[in-house]
Amino acid sequence: MGAGEASNRQIKVKVNHLTKKFGDLLVLDDISFDVEKGDLLCVVGPTGCGKTTFLNSLTKIYDVTSGEILLDGHPADPKKDHIAYIFQGNSTMPWLTVEQNVAFGLDIRHTPKKEKKELTDRYLEIVGLTKYRKYYPKQLSASMLQRVSIARAFATEPELLLMDEPYGQLDIELRFKLEDELVRLWQMTGTTVIFITHNIEEAVYLGENIMILTNKPTTVKERLANRLPRPRDIAAPEFVRLREQVTDLIRWW
Amino acid sequence: MPMEQKRQLISCKRVNKSFQVPEGTHQVIRDFNLEAQENEFICLFGPGQCGKTTIINLIAGFELPDEGNILVGGELVTEPGPERGVVFQNITLFPWLTVMGNVEYGLKMAGVPKQERREQAQKYIDLVGLQGFENTFPVKLSGGMRQRVGIARAYCIEPKVMLMDEPFGALDAQTRYLMQEELQRIWQSEKRTVIFVTNNIEEAIYLADRIIVLSNCPATVKKEYVIDLPRPRKYTAPEFLALRKEITDIVDKTL
Amino acid sequence: MKKKQRTIMEPICAVISIFAFLCLWHLGVKGELGRLMPGPVPVIWMFLETMFGGTIGSRTMIVHILYSLIRVMAGYLLGAAAGVILGLAMGWNRLVEAVFSPLFRIIRPIPPIAWIPISIIWIGLGEDAKIFLIFLASFCNVTLNAWSGAKNVDKDYILAAQMLGARKSSLLFTIVLPASVPSVFAGLQVALSSCWATVLAAEMVRSSEGLGWIIIAGMNNNDMVQIMTGILAIGLVGMLLSMIFRKVETRLCRWNKSDS
Repeated sequence: MGAGEASNRQIKVKVNHLTKKFGDLLVLDDISFDVEKGDLLCVVGPTGCGKTTFLNSLTKIYDVTSGEILLDGHPADPKKDHIAYIFQGNSTMPWLTVEQNVAFGLDIRHTPKKEKKELTDRYLEIVGLTKYRKYYPKQLSASMLQRVSIARAFATEPELLLMDEPYGQLDIELRFKLEDELVRLWQMTGTTVIFITHNIEEAVYLGENIMILTNKPTTVKERLANRLPRPRDIAAPEFVRLREQVTDLIRWW
Repeated sequence: MPMEQKRQLISCKRVNKSFQVPEGTHQVIRDFNLEAQENEFICLFGPGQCGKTTIINLIAGFELPDEGNILVGGELVTEPGPERGVVFQNITLFPWLTVMGNVEYGLKMAGVPKQERREQAQKYIDLVGLQGFENTFPVKLSGGMRQRVGIARAYCIEPKVMLMDEPFGALDAQTRYLMQEELQRIWQSEKRTVIFVTNNIEEAIYLADRIIVLSNCPATVKKEYVIDLPRPRKYTAPEFLALRKEITDIVDKTL
Repeated sequence: MKKKQRTIMEPICAVISIFAFLCLWHLGVKGELGRLMPGPVPVIWMFLETMFGGTIGSRTMIVHILYSLIRVMAGYLLGAAAGVILGLAMGWNRLVEAVFSPLFRIIRPIPPIAWIPISIIWIGLGEDAKIFLIFLASFCNVTLNAWSGAKNVDKDYILAAQMLGARKSSLLFTIVLPASVPSVFAGLQVALSSCWATVLAAEMVRSSEGLGWIIIAGMNNNDMVQIMTGILAIGLVGMLLSMIFRKVETRLCRWNKSDS
């Protein structure tokens, strides 16, 4: 579990004995873990490890077979609790401008007009898209679209942010930039983030904690605290050591 | 003849290429030069949409340069031909043919008798590790397996040159490592001259004898690196990481 | 699990909705409306009775259905064959496209019924005129889909084939034709239902048998039950035809489906 220094922090998410079967096929096998408030937890597992089912169960898209997900001690309810998602691929609305896309989540939550304007402006500024506010998604590159999604998610100031491999298809250099941006946003807002990825280096680069899943039926194999100082250096010996440790726990290829 | 000099196989000399777009002329390649020797593995590495695919298309003969010329095996490239096998970014298997049908397509077009082409196709299906899937349609295969078929299909016509356009771009990070190892194994057992386009620097350093770093649009050669780390290479070795940092840095400035 | 639920749910819903419809129909014609409209019981009874034993006109229902089916199939297959050839040629060759597309664009929006007078004058009152009308319904739909299928073949398939050494002549049969199959089949499916729907118009041209004739004759005799029976038969056979068609398509386009 988390390092000693943080153990007095409040538990934000508590997952107890999460189990999911499709018919007779056991996909998630008794998964339990906690996420502290303000944590950036990276979840990484081997290819085909039931990561999508894991995420869908967390978001309650699929009903779980047994187990519970508690948010601040209450059963999580996506209708009441404010959970935001960022998926792989583009999830912006093509008929809205960048600005309207960022404001979209606020519209749904009936945020007052003035506040909506402030929040939209602020997050457009942070992700560096102020110049492009009147553009439509079709006119933007893949990395800019991911920025729109990220601004949209953070603008609603969610209690929990779930990210499913949002940078999987991007160039490495762009990925580093967006990862740095995510860390900056996370540090600024103190949002609790669960970040799911296949990319081990990315998990070590981002995570305060790293949770490693096993192959199907999926369960938690190991949980590592990652207290490397930020900004992290991918070539630093401690970084490489942690990356290799995680790789050894996952490696199937 | 122990000191036999390696034969030069590909030569691109002062290649320029532009496309007409609504806003006018858009130059994608400027003064591009490349010499590749027999059995050399070359990675073209560069950011974004900077014309890497166009270079592949030009060498493949899908498009013709505006200026300059491209020679493969001493002959001017004017059209696509089976001495240049292409593995496409989006794989482009023929979905109406089985794995066997896809791999043997080129031999069928060349009029190779059925028995013979089946045997040869089988050899390459085995080489990429897909034995048992001969009669499967592509739609039933995973991304990594489809790309194996793509490689086998291009290999099966026994081209002198393999042109690979970001073949692993759509795979997840772990499957990508697997395919990189597989490609290296295949290349070591069936040597070919390979031009491999990628925007992933780890992949380039892992695979290449030589990395050509391209600038952003219009693409031109920015720098060349000869990679002489022993194979198989280790992603986390200090020399590997140092090289990666160095190359990433020079690319970053061009962004 | 979800899939299993769906496979049970769908037939149950189908039975319930058909039964509910029949009940509403039955109750609806109880009052005044009953004079103008027969209930479901006499219609279904007439359908079953004439199916094997009784006759409408001088023939049983089965024979009427067969007459209509033969006309539809003849027109459909001729139209489909011509449509596939013309459509693929238009998609493949710019010149063919330039020559035929203006004509085709004019002919396509004309409903088959509009051709009835002309076809009678040209071809006469025999079977040929009926088949001609059905041919038109089939031909236009199939041509349109084959054309767009062949025209929109993923360019990468062509590049891949060229790189593997295919010549232009072999591209047509090894790439363009198979790649257009899903689109051609979509056209064939629409064409089949539209041909079947045209059977009524076709049999308006002097006939003494067929499902269209049943309805026309019912109208002339003011026999509402017979008209409804004809309508029911057209609906049922049309449904069966498209079910059979879908089975054939699944078999032939195996490669296009991710789960068989």
